[in-house]
Amino acid sequence: MVKIYTTQTCPYCVMAKDYFKSKGVQYEEVDVSASETAREELIKKSHQMGVPVIDANGAIIVGFNRTEIDKALGL
Amino acid sequence: MLYDLIIVGAGPAGVAAGIYASRKKIKTLMLTEAIGGQPVIASEINNFIGFKSISGIELKKIFEEHLRHQGGTDLKEGVGVSKIEKKDGIFFVSANGENFEAKTVLIASGSSPRRLNVLGEDKFAGKGVFYCSICDAPLMKDKAVAVVGGGNSGFYAVLDLLPYASKIYVLEYSDVLRADPIYREKARNSGKVEVFTMAAVKEISGNDFVSGLKYEDRKTNEIKELKLDGVFVEIGYSPNSAIGSGLVEINQAGKIIVNHQTQAASCEGVWAAGDVADVLYNQINIAIGDAVKAVLNINDYLNKK
Repeated sequence: MVKIYTTQTCPYCVMAKDYFKSKGVQYEEVDVSASETAREELIKKSHQMGVPVIDANGAIIVGFNRTEIDKALGL
Repeated sequence: MLYDLIIVGAGPAGVAAGIYASRKKIKTLMLTEAIGGQPVIASEINNFIGFKSISGIELKKIFEEHLRHQGGTDLKEGVGVSKIEKKDGIFFVSANGENFEAKTVLIASGSSPRRLNVLGEDKFAGKGVFYCSICDAPLMKDKAVAVVGGGNSGFYAVLDLLPYASKIYVLEYSDVLRADPIYREKARNSGKVEVFTMAAVKEISGNDFVSGLKYEDRKTNEIKELKLDGVFVEIGYSPNSAIGSGLVEINQAGKIIVNHQTQAASCEGVWAAGDVADVLYNQINIAIGDAVKAVLNINDYLNKK
């Protein structure tokens, strides 16, 4: 399960989502600017509030870090 | 495999170089963390010639599409170059534990946001201290924030924050705001923005997240404190030139010194273009032109060998 926490305006979120698409990775997007609950979830998982944050099968990756994403998803 | 050329970076300079190198049939490898470079985080670009207004991410997509359509170069993404060494006229470039070899190198590694280097900055990175206003401004809904830096970058951040933050303090170290009047006016008209000049940030504080900032009023030497939830650091950029140290001459500002006719650096076989080179003006248009210049000169160099 891949979940990505984003804001509507964040370019690195777009880049991360494009990367998932190019690799055929299914993901669920959570816009943290739209809900307080989502923001709390983001902070609980990543202990910070910047976006994007990617939850790749439980591995929490802060920022669009391809090396980390590849490692977590075995790409 | 021995490449003719390794291009480090794929921002505007790197992409332009890749396209030109391919058209010249130069056997090229591009190494980059990600295509796009610094413009990616610009919410709006209005001076890239041919485009009245375009976002950084849209521009990145256009660059990438052109580069991929052109093809002809090997492209490795998600890699950070750590070292460039020259042995017996061949360059050895290390990236993510791998080694690549080439006859020439073009350093187009750009620059990164400059840090404040004050207490609390590292501790609260991502926890209220941010370097990408377009990314993280929406998290500051109804919150008080500071933008450090009164130049254009600082005021771009102010504009990104205006729809969200309830209060925006701008802290500028010098006695004058360098931002263009058009941006200052927009900020002033919002009624949300308060500007402090001659303000030296001393500390960012909080528990788990940022809750305050201390600065010195340089007019009175008084230490003042602001209660706030976010600090956006917009004090310019540092060139990513560490990979060239020991190999090429670097000036006091950390930029690689180049011949401005050819973009050649001080070490034979190395060129630099874009914000990492010692250009006077950092502009996308200029980075592209300089990179093109570099590749044409690299082509001449390779043909003469």
